[in-house]
Amino acid sequence: MEIGPILRAMTRNKIGAILIALQIAFTMTVVVNAYFMIEERMRLMERPSGVVEDQLFHISTRGFTPDFNGKVSVQDDLALLRQTPGIVDAVAINAIPLSGGGWSMSLQVEPGDGEQGHGVAIYMVDDHGLDTLGVELIAGRDFTPADVRERGPATSDWPDKAIISEATVKALWADANPLEVVGRTAYINDDEPVTIIGVVEKLQAPWNGWTTVEQSMLVPDKLIWTGVRYMVRTEPGRRDEMMPIVEELLARSNNQRIVRAPESMAETRARSYALDSGLAKILGVIMAMLVSITSLGIVGLASFSVRRRTKQIGIRRALGAKKRDILRYFLVENFMITTLGVVLGAVMTVGFNVWLVQALNFPKIDWLYVPIGMLALWLIGIIAVLGPARRATAVPPAVATRTV
Amino acid sequence: MLGYYVRLAAISIRENAVMSLLMITAVAVGIGTCMTIVTVNYIMAKDPIPQKSEVLYAVQLDSWNPNDAFRDDGSPPDQLTYTDALALMDARSAFRQTAMVGTSLIVQPDDPDSKPFQASGRAAYADFFAMFDTPFLFGSGWDADADRRLEQVVVLSREMNDRLFGGENSVGENITLGSYDYRVVGVLDTWQPMPKFYDVTTGPFDKTEDVFVPFSLVASLQLPRNGNTNCWKPVDGDGYEAFLASECIWIQFWAELRNDAEKREYLAFLDNYVNDQKSLGRFARPLNNRVNDVNEWMDVMRVVDSNATMMLPVSIMFLTVCLLNTIGLLLAKFLGKAPEIALRRALGASKRALFVQYLVESGCIGVAGGVVGVVLTWLGLRGIEALFGDLVENLVQLDLVMVTAAVVLAIVSSMAAGLYPTWRACNIEPAAQLKSQ
Amino acid sequence: MLSMKNVSRIYRTDVVQTHALRNLSLEVEAGEFVALVGPSGSGKTTFLNIAGLLETFDDGSYQLDGRDVAGLNDNDRSRLRNEKIGFIFQSFNLIPELNIADNIDVPLRYRGFAARERKRRVDRVLEVVGLGGRKKHLPSQLSGGQQQRVAIARALAGDPGFLLADEPTGNLDSSTAAGVMELINEIHRNGATIIMVTHDLELAARAERIVRLSDGQVVLLDEGGEGSELENGAAV
Ligand SMILES: Nc1ncnc2c1ncn2[C@@H]1O[C@H](COP(=O)(O)OP(=O)(O)OP(=O)(O)O)[C@@H](O)[C@H]1O
Ligand SMILES: [Mg+2]
Repeated sequence: MEIGPILRAMTRNKIGAILIALQIAFTMTVVVNAYFMIEERMRLMERPSGVVEDQLFHISTRGFTPDFNGKVSVQDDLALLRQTPGIVDAVAINAIPLSGGGWSMSLQVEPGDGEQGHGVAIYMVDDHGLDTLGVELIAGRDFTPADVRERGPATSDWPDKAIISEATVKALWADANPLEVVGRTAYINDDEPVTIIGVVEKLQAPWNGWTTVEQSMLVPDKLIWTGVRYMVRTEPGRRDEMMPIVEELLARSNNQRIVRAPESMAETRARSYALDSGLAKILGVIMAMLVSITSLGIVGLASFSVRRRTKQIGIRRALGAKKRDILRYFLVENFMITTLGVVLGAVMTVGFNVWLVQALNFPKIDWLYVPIGMLALWLIGIIAVLGPARRATAVPPAVATRTV
Repeated sequence: MLGYYVRLAAISIRENAVMSLLMITAVAVGIGTCMTIVTVNYIMAKDPIPQKSEVLYAVQLDSWNPNDAFRDDGSPPDQLTYTDALALMDARSAFRQTAMVGTSLIVQPDDPDSKPFQASGRAAYADFFAMFDTPFLFGSGWDADADRRLEQVVVLSREMNDRLFGGENSVGENITLGSYDYRVVGVLDTWQPMPKFYDVTTGPFDKTEDVFVPFSLVASLQLPRNGNTNCWKPVDGDGYEAFLASECIWIQFWAELRNDAEKREYLAFLDNYVNDQKSLGRFARPLNNRVNDVNEWMDVMRVVDSNATMMLPVSIMFLTVCLLNTIGLLLAKFLGKAPEIALRRALGASKRALFVQYLVESGCIGVAGGVVGVVLTWLGLRGIEALFGDLVENLVQLDLVMVTAAVVLAIVSSMAAGLYPTWRACNIEPAAQLKSQ
Repeated sequence: MLSMKNVSRIYRTDVVQTHALRNLSLEVEAGEFVALVGPSGSGKTTFLNIAGLLETFDDGSYQLDGRDVAGLNDNDRSRLRNEKIGFIFQSFNLIPELNIADNIDVPLRYRGFAARERKRRVDRVLEVVGLGGRKKHLPSQLSGGQQQRVAIARALAGDPGFLLADEPTGNLDSSTAAGVMELINEIHRNGATIIMVTHDLELAARAERIVRLSDGQVVLLDEGGEGSELENGAAV
C-alpha cells in the first residue's frame, strides 16, 4: 500500500483533509447519539400499558349544579353503559394509564412513618375494574361486590384490600412469587393495613416518565364524585363506533353536567408519547440530512480533487498505474481521512454522551454503538468516494503528454 | 467594478451548478435547522416579564417531611400549604403578594341554547394584576376588600369575553360559573407571558387562564384544584376542612420586593414565621426558606425542557457540518482555479481585487443560503408544530428578533465559511503555480 | 524492438477528423537511438503515445519486442508501460504534491517492488542524475533542469529497455539541455533503445538515425548523418 506517499501528499493539503475528517467526526457524534436516543425512545414507546388499549376509551363528566348527586349519577351511568350493546364493561376510575394525571401513594411492608416506602399509582375501581381494563390476574382473586366501598370527595382513608401489579410485588418483597404474596399485608399512609388479595401481570402507572412506572395498585373504591371519568371497554373493533354513541348517551341522560369529548386509549398513548415520537422523528430527519450532506460533501470534494489531479492521474497511468491502482489510490486516501474522522468522532460521540448524561440525565450510551457507528461512517465514506474514484480511472494516460 | 464581480460570480456559480446548489442547500439546511431549534430554546428561556422579573419573587418554605427532603438536592417544596399561604397573606409583609392556584370552572351561558362548558381558571389575590402587569381591555382587577368579603367577582380573558359577550365591554355584567353568579370587574387584553412564569408546576408553556377569581372563594365555594397536590403526611380526618388544614402543598406564592432591603426584610419575616411555627410542632426540617426572582425561578423549575437543551448542541453541530461542507467545497473550487488565479495575478490583478472577487462569490452563496435558511426556519417551526401540536403551540412563533438573528447568522456564517477559501485563493503564488505546471 | 506497419490514428471531434498518423510504418532495432523530427502538428507526439502504449491506434499493426500489442487490454498495457518503457516529457510531469523521492518511487510501487529494493533504486538513479541530496524537495523547489533530471531518474528507475522522450530539452536553456542530452546518451550507451522527439536539429544529430515526420507520415530517414534516403509512406 502506498500509505506513506499518500500521507505525505495529504499533509500538503492538510486543510482539505481536516475539513472532511471534522465533518465526519461531527456527523458521527450526532448520528450515533441520535440513533441511540431514537432507539431508546422507541423502546419506551413499545412498553405495553397492560390494559387492552385497542378496546378502551375514556370519557369524563362533571356535574355543575349545587344539588348534583354524584352517587346516583355514577350508578345510573354505569348501569346504562354496561347494558349498552357493543360495550363489554365499564368502570368509574380516578386515573387513566399513560394520561399523565393520577394519584400515587407510598406502600410499605412495615407500619410506621420511618419505614421505607414504595411509590405506587392508585387506580380506584369497583368489581368491574379488572374486566374493563382487561388486565390479567396471575394470582389471588378479583374484587367482589362485597369488597367495594364508596369513595366521596371527603373520604381520606383507604380500603383494606388491594390488587397490585407484579412489579409492585417485586418492589415490596424483592424475590417473592406472586402466588405467595396473596394474603400478605402492606401499609398505606404509614400505618393503614391493606391486604393483597390479587396480583395482575402488568398495569402501568399514568406517568410514562416515572422510573417506577410499572408499580401500581387497584383498590375497591367506587367513585361517587360529581366529576368522574369512565373507562369503557367495547367489543373488539367497535371502539371508534361506540365513542360518539356513548358521548351522546351520557349527555342526554342528565343535563345537569357537562360531558367532555371521549378519548381512545390510542389517542392517550399518542399524546403520552408525543414528545418522544416527535423527537425521534426530528432526530431521524437530522440524521438523514447530516448523512446526505456529508456524503454529498465527500462526493463533491473528491470530484474536485479528481479534476484537479487529472494530469497527475495521467502521469501515473503513463508510468504504469493500472485502473485499479488509481481507484485504490483514491479509496486509500479517503479511507485515511475517514479513519481520522471516525477516530475523532468516537471520542466526540462519547464526550457528547457524557455531557448528556451529566447535564441532562440522559441514558448512558452502550459502548457497542461507537464501533458500529465508526463502521457505518467508514462505509458511507467509501461509498461516497466510489463515484469520483471511478471517474478518475477513466482519465486516459495520454493526458500526460497532451495537457499543459 | 462590483457589477463585474457579481457577473464573474454568477458565471462561476453556474459553471459548477450542482456544486453551488449543494453549497447553498448545505448553508440553508444548516441555518434552517439550527434556527428552528434555537427559536424553540429562545422562547423557552426567554425572560417572560423583563420589566419586573427582578422584583417578583417566588416564595418557598421548607414544610416538608423531616426524614426526607422534597428534592434530592435539598431544595424546599415548590408550593405552599394552605395554612402557610393564608398566614403569609395575612401578614402582608411584602409590597405586594399573592397566593394562587389553578382551577377549572363550568361556565353556564345565559343563552339556554348554548351548552355549558369548562373554562380554565386561576384563583388569586387582588395584587395579582398589579404584580404581573396584566393589560386590561376593560375595567380592572378587584380590590383587597373583595378578597376579604368573599365577593364573587371575576376577570375574564379577552378570548372568554369575546365568547361570552362578543367582545363588548362586559364590566358589571353577571355570569354563572359552577352555578354561582359572578360579577365581571375587568377584561384582560391578550396576555400570554412565555413561559407562563407565575405557575410552571404544570405545563409551563400553556395558555393563560380564561377566568380569574378571588382566592378566598377556593375555600368558601370549594373550587376544584387544577395542578399538582403533594402530601408527605396523611390528611388528618375527613372532609374539605381537614384537607385545607393538612400539610399538603398545592399553592403558588409570589411576593413583589422592590429592592434588596425589602428582600432581606422579607426573608427575615419568613424565618420568623417558620420559627414561630416550629414552636407549634410544624416545620421540623432545618430553616430553608427561599425567594427566587422570575429568572432564577425558571432555572430552579427547569422550565427549559431537557430535550430542547439536548437539541441545541445537536443543531449547532449540524450547522458546523454544513459550514465545514461549504468551506471544503469552496476551497476545493477556488484552489481548482489556481491556474486562472495565477494568470489573473500575472496579468496584474491585485490581491485585494481577487479577494473582493471571490468574497463576492462566497457572499452570493451565503446570502442565497441565508434567505432559503430563513424560509426553512419558518417551515421547520411549522413542522415542529405539526409534530407536537398544542404541546408547543406557543413555542414556535418566529418573532422579529429571531428572523433578524437568522439572517445575521446566515450572512455571518457563510461569510466566515467563504473567508478562508477566499484568503487561500488570493494567496496563491503565481510563480509557484506556473512553475509546477 | 519496435515494428509498426501501416499504423493510422484518426482523432474525431464533433466538427473535424484529424488524421494524426497516416499508414505509418517504422522499424526500430533494439539498442537504437532514433531522433524524431518534423513540423508542429505532424504527429510526433501521437506516434510517441502509440509507441508508448498511452494511446491506441485505429489501423495497422504494432509489435513491441516481438509482441503484437493491438489485442492487449488496459491492464496488460499498463504493465508493459511500467516494466519496459520509460517516459521523459517536455514539461517534466512531476507530481507536484510528492517530493522527489516519492516521485521516482511512483512507477516502482506499481511494479510491486519491496520497500528496500525501491529505496535502493531511488538512491541509485538520483546518484546517476546527480541529485542525491534533494530527496525531500518538492518539484516546485527545483529548477527546470533539475526537474527534468528527476523525470529522467524516474524513467530510469525501473530499468526500462525502451525510453521515449518528447522534447526533453524543449523547456531548457541550451547548456542545461546539453547536460540532459549527456544523460540520455549515457543511457543509450548502457544499452537502452531510445526514441526522442526534438525540434533541435543539433541534438537530433547526436542520434544514430533521424526520422522525419510530416503530416502523419515518415518522410525521410537520416542514417546517423551519413547521407539520406527517401522513403515514401504508403499512398493516402
Ligand atoms: N486529442 C486530440 N483530438 C483531436 N485532434 C488531436 C488530438 N491530439 C492531437 N490532435 C491533432 O493531431 C495532429 C498531430 O498532433 P501531435 O500532437 O501528434 O503533433 P506534434 O507533431 O507532436 O506537434 P508539436 O511539435 O507541435 O508537438 C495535430 O493536428 C493535432 O491537432
Ligand atoms: Mg508534440
